Amino acid sequence: MTTEPAKIPAIEVENLTVSFGPRPALLNVSVTIDQGLLVGIIGPNGAGKSTLVKAILGFVKPDLGTVRLLGSSLDDAKGRLAYVPQRGAVDWDYPITVYEVAMMGRYPNIAWWKDPGRQDHEIVNQALEMVRMSDFKNRQIGGLSGGQQQRVFMARALAQGSDILLLDEPFAGVDAATERAILDVLERARATGRTLVVVHHDLATAAEYFDRLMLIKQRLFAYGTPRQVLNQDLLSEVYEGKLKVFSGMGKAEECHA
Amino acid sequence: MPDIIYSAFAAPLRETFFQKALIGGSIAAIVCSVVGCLVILRRMAFLGDALSHAMIAGVAGGYLFMKILFNTEAHAPAMLIGSLIAALVTVASIGFVSRVSRVKDDTAIGIMYTGVFAGGVVLVSVFRGYIHIDLMHFIMGDVLGVADSDLWVAAISAGIVLSIIILFFRQFQLTSFDPVMAASIGLPVALIDYALTTCVSLVVVSAVSMVGVILVVGLLITPAASAYLLSDRLDRMMILAAIFGVTSVIGGLYLSMWLDSSGGGAIMLFCSLQFIVILVIAPNYGMLARWMRLRNSLPQQLVEDVLVESSRFGKTVDLNQLQRKISHSKAAFTKALKGMSRNGLLEINDNKLTLTEAGSVEANRILRAHRLWEAYISHVGAASGSEVHHRAHELEHVNDVESVDYLDDLLGHPIYDPHGAVIPASDSHCSTGGECSLSYLREGMSAEIIDLPAEGSDSRLNKGTKVTIGPRRENQTEWIIFLQDGSKVALDHETADAVKVRITSISS
Repeated sequence: MTTEPAKIPAIEVENLTVSFGPRPALLNVSVTIDQGLLVGIIGPNGAGKSTLVKAILGFVKPDLGTVRLLGSSLDDAKGRLAYVPQRGAVDWDYPITVYEVAMMGRYPNIAWWKDPGRQDHEIVNQALEMVRMSDFKNRQIGGLSGGQQQRVFMARALAQGSDILLLDEPFAGVDAATERAILDVLERARATGRTLVVVHHDLATAAEYFDRLMLIKQRLFAYGTPRQVLNQDLLSEVYEGKLKVFSGMGKAEECHA
Repeated sequence: MPDIIYSAFAAPLRETFFQKALIGGSIAAIVCSVVGCLVILRRMAFLGDALSHAMIAGVAGGYLFMKILFNTEAHAPAMLIGSLIAALVTVASIGFVSRVSRVKDDTAIGIMYTGVFAGGVVLVSVFRGYIHIDLMHFIMGDVLGVADSDLWVAAISAGIVLSIIILFFRQFQLTSFDPVMAASIGLPVALIDYALTTCVSLVVVSAVSMVGVILVVGLLITPAASAYLLSDRLDRMMILAAIFGVTSVIGGLYLSMWLDSSGGGAIMLFCSLQFIVILVIAPNYGMLARWMRLRNSLPQQLVEDVLVESSRFGKTVDLNQLQRKISHSKAAFTKALKGMSRNGLLEINDNKLTLTEAGSVEANRILRAHRLWEAYISHVGAASGSEVHHRAHELEHVNDVESVDYLDDLLGHPIYDPHGAVIPASDSHCSTGGECSLSYLREGMSAEIIDLPAEGSDSRLNKGTKVTIGPRRENQTEWIIFLQDGSKVALDHETADAVKVRITSISS
């Protein structure tokens, strides 16, 4: 990684307000995420985590505010951002193979009258290799385990060649070993200089997994290193005392630091 | 004999009406089935039904329009365009109703299409002096009376739809599979949806004159569903669906000749029977395959019983002796053994069974669960006497690592169960090079401390200290460990949990 381009932030969100009615889902959220980081978005249910993701993807029109990716507006930055959906959002019975799903990552670069070229096949193979799914190429996606399914979609995001990856709850409903395997792929992707933004629900692992955390509940409560974000006062404010388990968090954090 | 075959198969082919039915039906079936693949993957089957019904209003409208303005009867292109308009209006109004109210999609479809359909029926009957449409023909179709104009309509709309699907295959695939990604890479998802709806309307229009309003949805989805049971790729599913569509038409038409029945009805009957056959025999997703899988899957409980009993005998055991211990039928027992040897858990030589390394590890794991459950049941007093063993025997099949570790910790990592038998150490924790709490370790194992609580522990223990585990004292509640200089340190349960070690040797 050269230091020069790293100066342009990967994602700049400025004064973002999004509403679906009288109560805004996001209110005045501003955050700047630098390149090459693994960032977790945390917050209680209904806090607007997925709204923020949708706003960064450009699916919801903000009432106010802007989102810039790598210095360009959303319209100009199409293709610089790849999205990995929640596992629940996919029809696993769809007649499609692992390889075909990964190839979908190349679709933005293939003209509609052409077939995928040799370079596209190479990129897809590399992406599958990177998530260690090459052996499952010709399998229909429904027969895979939860972690493997997640990895296929990460391969697709990698094949897109985007600099920013947006993942919606990749760790939901997988066992501890699978969680490690997924994290391993995330870290490998970060090592190639990509920026990864991950919606995450488990505060207990948040400190361990991410370089930066973003704590939101309608507003942005904190953005910074896990140690800055996971402090008792902030958490009890955001989770309104529904959180009893984190009395030990401070200690764990000191060890981590 | 050849005469019968000739009159059953070849004779109909000489009839022009049969040839037209065959050609027209096949064209309609191919394009219906291909589009149908996308329809069933998008779960739009009901919408297909709705579109075919809504058409009648468009047909009547188109007919009236040309009749009144130009005084032409049954102007086919006008009726086609009318149907398309009616279909798109229906789709738009369905979307509108479900967007502005709490009424869900399927209800909105039901409301709007019956409304539009009823409008068409009323229109036709009010203007029956002007419109010479046979409602029954429209509802039931008449494949054996296909007119040339119908053939042209079918061929042209099939050509257009197939070209669109082939050219934009990837776009349709991506939007139907993952609309969110499709939108994120800038595909016009709404436009593609409308294109698909238009395609559905076109194929429905071209097929209605043959099989009728009621059956056309079957031609749209049944061959596609048959193909769905056989394919793992969308392109192959479409090709197979097209083949099944054509076989339905051919089979149905012959059926209708032999039985002298309605052509459309026979086609759909054949199509449905074809689906049922495929549902039964499909190699992966069919009922037979499912049943075979269930039959071949090994009952987990029996497998675990075999493992534990063999390990109680000491790894190698005579088969007859083992079977007496296990309360299952001989057949189930033999099948379980075969499956287990295939999975590499055991080997069988001259009627003797030997557990493999993997088999022993697995047996240990279950035995550990069993004995911990026994200890737990006695601990909470849930059962007594021989009941303890029986309850534990049922519960040992609850043996995921997390639950077993929880019991182990709750009971203070016991070494012996209530009957005095040794509870096997946890293989998942206690392997050379593995890292875990010191409390999991057993006498004779050696390890290196990698982490320990900042205060409260003995000053002789530090990160990097090499220790060998000694016996458990004080009714198994005190861990004794030896340092390299031979000195001895005693730890309580809490401290032993807090001291993390990397195991250097497990041989005792």
